[in-house]
Amino acid sequence: MKKLISIIFLLYIAYQLFVVFYAIPFGTDEVRSKVGKFYLEHSPKDLQVANTVTSIVVNFRGFDTLGEVTVLFLASTALGSILFRRREVHTRLSHLRTSVEASSIVRVTGRILFPMIVLLGAYVFIHGHLTPGGGFQGGVIIATGFLFLLLAYRQFTIDHKTIMWVESLAGITFAGIGLVGIFMGKTFLENFLGVGKLNELISGGIIPLIYIAVGFKVAAELTGILDTILLISITVDETENQTEKNG
Amino acid sequence: MVAVNPIYYIALPLLFAFMLPILGKIYKGLIRIVPGILYAYLMVMSLYLLRQVNITGQPIIVEIAGWKAPWGINLIFDAFTGLIVTFITVLAFLVWMYSYRFKKVEFDNALKYFVLLMLVTVGSIGVVLTGDIFNQFVFLEITALSSYGLTAFYRGRDGAEAAFKYLLVGSLASTFILLGILLIYSQLGTLNMADIARNIHIMKPELKIMAFLLLFIGYGIEAEMFPMNGWAPDAYSQAPGPIGSVFASMTSKAGLYALIRLTFTLFDFSTVSKLLFVMGLLTLIFAEGIALRQEKIKRMLAYSSIGQIGLIMIAFSFNTYLGVFAGIFLMINHALIKSLLFFSASYLAYNSPKKYIKDIQGFGKYMPITAFMFGLGAFAIVGFPPFSGFWSKFYLLLAAAQKHYIVLIILILSVSLVELVYYLRVVHKLYFAEPTGEYEPHKPRWNGMLAMILLALVIIAIGVYPDLITHYIDRAAVMIMDKAQYIHNSLGL
Amino acid sequence: MDNLQILKIAFYGASISLIIVGLYAVITKRNLIKIVLGLSIMDNGLNLLFITIGFVNNGTAPIFSPLVMEKYKTVEAASQVMVDPVVQALVLTAIVIGFGVTAVALALVLRLYRHHNTTNIDEIRNLKW
Repeated sequence: MKKLISIIFLLYIAYQLFVVFYAIPFGTDEVRSKVGKFYLEHSPKDLQVANTVTSIVVNFRGFDTLGEVTVLFLASTALGSILFRRREVHTRLSHLRTSVEASSIVRVTGRILFPMIVLLGAYVFIHGHLTPGGGFQGGVIIATGFLFLLLAYRQFTIDHKTIMWVESLAGITFAGIGLVGIFMGKTFLENFLGVGKLNELISGGIIPLIYIAVGFKVAAELTGILDTILLISITVDETENQTEKNG
Repeated sequence: MVAVNPIYYIALPLLFAFMLPILGKIYKGLIRIVPGILYAYLMVMSLYLLRQVNITGQPIIVEIAGWKAPWGINLIFDAFTGLIVTFITVLAFLVWMYSYRFKKVEFDNALKYFVLLMLVTVGSIGVVLTGDIFNQFVFLEITALSSYGLTAFYRGRDGAEAAFKYLLVGSLASTFILLGILLIYSQLGTLNMADIARNIHIMKPELKIMAFLLLFIGYGIEAEMFPMNGWAPDAYSQAPGPIGSVFASMTSKAGLYALIRLTFTLFDFSTVSKLLFVMGLLTLIFAEGIALRQEKIKRMLAYSSIGQIGLIMIAFSFNTYLGVFAGIFLMINHALIKSLLFFSASYLAYNSPKKYIKDIQGFGKYMPITAFMFGLGAFAIVGFPPFSGFWSKFYLLLAAAQKHYIVLIILILSVSLVELVYYLRVVHKLYFAEPTGEYEPHKPRWNGMLAMILLALVIIAIGVYPDLITHYIDRAAVMIMDKAQYIHNSLGL
Repeated sequence: MDNLQILKIAFYGASISLIIVGLYAVITKRNLIKIVLGLSIMDNGLNLLFITIGFVNNGTAPIFSPLVMEKYKTVEAASQVMVDPVVQALVLTAIVIGFGVTAVALALVLRLYRHHNTTNIDEIRNLKW
C-alpha cells in the first residue's frame, strides 16, 4: 500500500516535471544562452583556448572548480575521519596477505596496461585545453589504473603519505596560482601569463597549469578513496566492533 | 587592497586546509594553532571591512578571474552579507577557541577535525558572499559535506546513523536546487543572481512557479524548515559539542540566507511572503511543541534551534523594514546565544553518554561557572532583559504590532512561555535537584571557559547597549529590502 | 513527428524517469546500499537533463580544433554550430559533487554495517527515523 502511494505520488511528480521541461525549447539555436555565446566568442579570442568547456571550468567559472576540488578533498578527509583508525593499518596488512590472489591473466594484463593507462591519463589532462578532457577526466583515468593494480595484486599497497603530499601540493598550487593574480594587481584566478596561439600546446596562460594541478589532485584523491574503501571493506576487524560499543 | 580582500575568506582557509597535513608534519601543534591565527585574521578583517562598508555606504564587489558580473562569478560584501559574514567569522573563532584542546591525544583525528571545521566555514561564508546561483550551490554542498563528516566524527555515538539521515535529506535538497537552477538557466541563460533578478519577469509563469518551489524546498531543507527537518535533532545531538554551535550559526544560517535571497531578491512574487509566513509558523509551533517533551538536553536545544529558525522566517515574512530588522537581529542572537548554550551544555553533559537532562541535575554545585553560563543563555534566548535576546523579541513584537497581527503577538508570547518552561526546567534541575551521582562532573578547560565568558560578555553588552549593532542591522535591513540596489551593485549598471 | 520531436521526448523522458526511479529507490528501499544507488541514479538523471538542455540539432562539441577552424574559417561561424558549453561545465561540477557525496555515503554505510552487522534500515534505529 505504501509502495502504491509512493508510485502514484512519483508518477505525478514525473508528469509535472515532464510538462514543465517539455515547454523548454530543444535543439534549436535559441538554446545557446547569453553567457554561452559570450564564452564561445571570448574563449578562442581572449584566452586562445580551443576547448570552451575547459576555459569555462578553469577561467570564467574557475571559482566553481576550486569549490569542486574542495569537495573532493572534503570527501577524502571525511572518508578518513569516518573509516580510518591508525592501528587498523597494521591489522589490515596481515589480513591481506592471506586473501586470495587474482588470476594470472588479470595480473599480467595489469602490469602491461598500468603504464599505458597512466600515460593516457597524463595526456588527457595535459591536453585539456585542446581536446575533450581535462584535469578531472585525466585524474579519473589514472585512478582507474591504480584500481586495476589494487584488484590484480592483493599485496599492492598505496602509500597514504605520498597521496597526502600530492594532494596537498596540488591544492596549494591551485589556490596559490589564484592568489598570485591578486599580488600582481589583478583579480583572483585571473590569467597573468601570455596566452599564446590557439590550438598550440603551450597556450591559454594559467589554464593548463591549473588543469595539471587538478589532474594530480584528482588522481591522488580518487586513488586514496578507492584504496580506503576497497581495503576496509575486505577487512574484518574484530576489535573495531568492541571499541565502537565501548566508545 | 592586497592585505584585505573579501576573496581571502575563501582562498585563505582553502589554502591552509590543503596545507594543514604538511604543517602537521613539521610541528604537530601547528594544526591547532594555524586555524586560530587564520580565524583571528578573518575576524579582524571582517570587522574592518564592515566598518568600511558602513562608513562609505559602498559595497565591496570582487570579480573573480577578471570577468565582469554576468560572465564571471563575483563576491558581494555589502551591509547585509558583510554583517552575516562578520558573525560567522566571530563564531568560527570562538568555536576554534572552544575546541582548541579537543582530542589533543589523537593527531590524525584532530587534523581531520580542523580541516572539516575550516571547510564548513568556507562553505557557509561562500554561500553568503557569492553572487552566482550555481556557485552558491557548490558552497552549499561544501557546507553540507563537511557537516556530514563532522556529524559522524565520534565513534562512540550513533553519529554514522545521524549523518546518513542528514546525507539522504541533503542529497534530495541538492537535487531540487539543481533542478530549479536548471529551469532558470534554460529560460534566462544566466546564472548570476542579480541578472536573474533583473530578468525574472521574462520567464514563463508556470516555469517560474516550478523553479521557485524547487529552490524553496531545497533551501528550506538546508535551513531546517518544517517538515523536512527530522535530520537536524539527530545531527545536533550526535556531533561533537562545539559542532552544535557550528550547525546553529553556520550551516542553518547558510540555508536561511539562500532562502532569504531567493524570496527577497530573485523572484518577484507578491505571495511569497505568505508562504514564508506559513512555513515559519508551522516550523515554530512544531519545534517548540516537541522541544517541550525532550528528555535529552542536546535534542532539546536542537528543537529550540529549529523553533528560532521559524521565528526568523516569520520576521522576514512581514516584508516590512521593521520585520527584516527584527529578523536579522534574531539571526545574530540565535547564533550567539545558541552557541553559548551548546558550549555549556556539552561541558555539563560531558561524561554522560546518553545526554539525558536528569544526568546533569545538581551540577550547579560542581560546575558553578558553566551552569551559570547555561542559565544565562537560557534567559537570554527566552528574551529577558538585560540580554540581547530581549531586543530581538521586542523588535519582532513591534513589527507584528505595526502590521496589526494581534493573534500573532499572543502566539509569539505564548511560544516564549513554552520556551521559558522547558529552559527553566533544566535550570531548576541544575541548581535545585539532588545529583544522581551516576556521572562525574567534568572539569572545564580554560579555553572553553574563555570562549563561554567572551560570548556571555557579547550577549550582555548588546543587551545593555543595543546601539552597538543596531546601526549595522539598520543598514543591512535597508540593503536586503532594496532589490534595485543589489542589482546595481552586482552588475554595475 | 519529426526526428527532433522524438529526440526531445526520448531525452527528457529518459532523464526524468531516471530521476524518478532514483527517488523511488530512495523512498521505498530498505537496504542502505540500494538507497545510495538510488541517489546515484538520481544524480545521473539530473546530469543527463543538464546536457539535454544545451543540445543543438546537428551541433558539434564546443571545441575550436584545427579541423573545425579549417571547415568554418572564423570563430563566429564555428560558434554558430556548437552546443551550449556552459551546461557541460556545470555537469562536470555536478558529477564531481555527486561523486563526493556517494563516497561519503558509502563510507557511512560501511561504518553502519560494521557497527550493526546489517544494511537494513529497519534494524538500524537507535535514533528515531
